[in-house]
Amino acid sequence: MGFSRSSIRAFATGGFTAFSRSLDGFVGLVRFMGMSDLAGLIGLVIVIAMGLTAATISLWPLPNPNSMDYPMNQPPSLNHLFGTDRYGRDVLSRVLWGARVSLSVGLAAAFSAALLGTILGVVAGVYGGRVDAAISRVIEVFLMMPTFFLALLIAAVTRPNIHNLIFVVAITSWPTVARVVRGQVLSLKEMQYVEASRALGASDRFVMIKHILPQVVPLTLSYTILLVSNAMLLEAGLSYLGLGDPNYPSWGRMIYEGQQLIFSAWWVSVFPGAFLTLTVLGWNLLGDSLSRYLNPRRRTL
Amino acid sequence: MRRYVTDRVVSSFFVLISVLSINFIIINLAPGNPATIMGAETGLISQDYIQYLTQKWGLDKPVYERLAVYLWNVFHGDLGISYRYAEPVSQLIFERIPLTLAITVPSIVIGFLVGTLLATLACRKPGGGLDVGLTTLAMGSYSAPIFWVAILLINAFSVRLKLLPPTGLVSPQLIGSNGFDYYLDMAKHAILPIVTLTLGTFPPYYRLTKSVILEQLSEDYVVTLKAMGLPRFRVLYKHVLRNALLPGITLFGIQMGFAFAGAALVENVFAWPGIGRLMLDAIMARDYNLLMGIFLFVTLAVVVANIVVDLVYGYLDPRIRRG
Repeated sequence: MGFSRSSIRAFATGGFTAFSRSLDGFVGLVRFMGMSDLAGLIGLVIVIAMGLTAATISLWPLPNPNSMDYPMNQPPSLNHLFGTDRYGRDVLSRVLWGARVSLSVGLAAAFSAALLGTILGVVAGVYGGRVDAAISRVIEVFLMMPTFFLALLIAAVTRPNIHNLIFVVAITSWPTVARVVRGQVLSLKEMQYVEASRALGASDRFVMIKHILPQVVPLTLSYTILLVSNAMLLEAGLSYLGLGDPNYPSWGRMIYEGQQLIFSAWWVSVFPGAFLTLTVLGWNLLGDSLSRYLNPRRRTL
Repeated sequence: MRRYVTDRVVSSFFVLISVLSINFIIINLAPGNPATIMGAETGLISQDYIQYLTQKWGLDKPVYERLAVYLWNVFHGDLGISYRYAEPVSQLIFERIPLTLAITVPSIVIGFLVGTLLATLACRKPGGGLDVGLTTLAMGSYSAPIFWVAILLINAFSVRLKLLPPTGLVSPQLIGSNGFDYYLDMAKHAILPIVTLTLGTFPPYYRLTKSVILEQLSEDYVVTLKAMGLPRFRVLYKHVLRNALLPGITLFGIQMGFAFAGAALVENVFAWPGIGRLMLDAIMARDYNLLMGIFLFVTLAVVVANIVVDLVYGYLDPRIRRG
């Protein structure tokens, strides 16, 4: 099944249609949240606030997160709202800079995983037969594998840097998406409009791009958002164990450093953890809200 | 039914072989082998000795050959020798595994009970204050990194309230003794790790049970019971809860994997000498055989848990068996 240039273009068009539909969906989603889903709205606000912080952090009037210019282990005060750590670094600045690493790893990993999962899921579902059997086997193996241990293993054998971190998180999170997408495609395939399209002579590829993909993308989106929070927790766990990128202030690493000071300086570990929890919570609330919105039967829950 | 079981066992077997092979390849992509690492660490081992170790452990053979030998040995129950501890891997794992099971299994069971109970409480008045409060608690607890929760709990219960010991397996003064005090002390040390893990295991049960109960509440039989004048709590506890317990069982397999992953982190915070800590040590020391052994064990545990869950579920819910 070689992909010609025209099919790539058609694939992109299909993706774009799906995207613009998702954009319409986004407006509808915000309206839905405003009317009946407070939790989702809170999630959206958290996610946007954290995203803006991470994007603009270099413009904020904060001390350099890595400069060790201040007295060590100072409790929170007006000068240092979150105190200082054992190297005399400003914890507030480090925590806010930490949002950048956490979010970029989370987003990049979740979207790569979603892309890989969607492609494999759609291909397996549409082509069926041996292709499906092969892909399903791979999915099954990855689902059974203890992902955290796999991530640990890969992170340990590769050099700890941010790209490897994204790779590790992505390679361990795609199978859930692939499984869900495959299931969705299989049920879409039985739909009458697909059958009608086939009766009119549509090819596998046409059906896949024109009918299946636009239906699947919104579903994938809600899973991707839930993946972001998973990815952020996984990144934090790896950094906590010293397998993260040592060049950037990361929440997981900060919590590790704070753990050493547990008897003397609680603020070093409490604040980064609280920000991580809040951000993950935001993405979880948003993802749940999105899946309620996309699946009206679940709205009562 | 028998055919189903056979299928599952065969596919699990395939999964295990794949997992082992993938691990083996990943590990062997890494630069440096145990012999060179040991040499670099101590700085004492001579080049000749590194050569000798490399040959003795068969590290100079090609990857596929080592993989074949390894798989052959595993099927004969031989997981190899740990390079670091110079002990059989299976022995190391079986020494540590009871300690990990001692914190993971209770946390799964307690998480199931607590999650189900809270979900039932929340469903007494859906959308009410209690429901909102409990759902917030569950979501927050689900979103928090487990190692951070562990640190918070140590801070609260050990540093401030001084109620429970912070870390370790037993208090130093009791090491070597073997009586009732020893086990009591160990149990005290296990409380915080179990609570930490439970805070991670209960939210999925809470969410699932709650959605099932809410679904059941609009079923015909509930409407009938209510119309017959049965009090609401009787309907909820006596009839709905019984049906809502079932789907929770399906989560046991997933929770098993989650609890092991959580244990790797939690054991690190609490200095609890279980399999998670063993794995971290093995990673740092590039102890290939030990790493593979632990991975195999964890995967096996998850796979077996899933098969058992399917069988139990099929037994309890005849609709699945026929379907």
